[in-house]
Amino acid sequence: MDALIKNAKKGDHLAFAMLFKEHYPFLVKYLIKITMNPDTAEELAQETMAKCIQKIHLYNGQSKFSTWLVSIATNTYIDQCRKKKREKNWQGQEEIYRKLKWHFESRNEDWNDALEALGRLPEDIRIPIILKHYYGYSYEEIGEWMKISPGTVKSRVHNGIKSVRKELNLSEETEGHRFGQRTTK
Amino acid sequence: MKKQKVIVLDSEQQNKQDILAISKMQEGLNKMEQIPVYSPDLQWFEQMVLVEKQRIRKKLIRDLSIFLIVAIIILCGIMISLFQMPAVFIFLQIATTIFIAFYSVTRLMKKVNGG
Repeated sequence: MDALIKNAKKGDHLAFAMLFKEHYPFLVKYLIKITMNPDTAEELAQETMAKCIQKIHLYNGQSKFSTWLVSIATNTYIDQCRKKKREKNWQGQEEIYRKLKWHFESRNEDWNDALEALGRLPEDIRIPIILKHYYGYSYEEIGEWMKISPGTVKSRVHNGIKSVRKELNLSEETEGHRFGQRTTK
Repeated sequence: MKKQKVIVLDSEQQNKQDILAISKMQEGLNKMEQIPVYSPDLQWFEQMVLVEKQRIRKKLIRDLSIFLIVAIIILCGIMISLFQMPAVFIFLQIATTIFIAFYSVTRLMKKVNGG
């Protein structure tokens, strides 16, 4: 196990601080992707680090420290969503990612249609898609973190991609392309 | 045979569309990766760790105190009922046993039924 983690487990404040500083950008960027909101991502990153301090004795070094952080961050976000839904102050997803869209536009970057489609998906579908197809985690790992079976993760990812495809009108495009090819033959 | 060929072609087409959708999503997510993230300095993280540890310590002391106070109250109640009112003591013992058995069975039934 890394010396920093060993020292952090022993209660060394500086080791903890160095670990967090090293992983902070990765953690915030992951949270921006799943929340689609930079402010929420920063809040959740702090909450994740606080949980990490509480649970460091549970980290066994079998996975990377960043993977462990991702699992805690995912759970923290899911808990926050549940809480907000219960308190009924859940904002619409479009309202949530408006700020990110503005961020992209201010940097003269294209707001990709796929991001729009991804942003419209509910978080319990968006998270496994990002974890699987961007970070490359296995269905088993994602299932363990989200407390659902790997089969459920697989079907959520499949259905999510299907709706993204629909939003992007990919089926029509390729279908049209296919028919076009047929007529030329 | 022909039918099978059509199904294979359709699924291949679908796979291609899936791959295209995934690559478009990855492209968008890569752009998100470029968003600059302000990382506070080491002192800020150290301060945060210290504050969090103090909070955990305070919470532990509070929880332990509540636990001890409740335990003392319950034990006092049991002792008083045992020496002053044995009938109430026996009634409490039976009621608690029945409650624990009922609660365990209900939980088990819920787990079995997947609820």
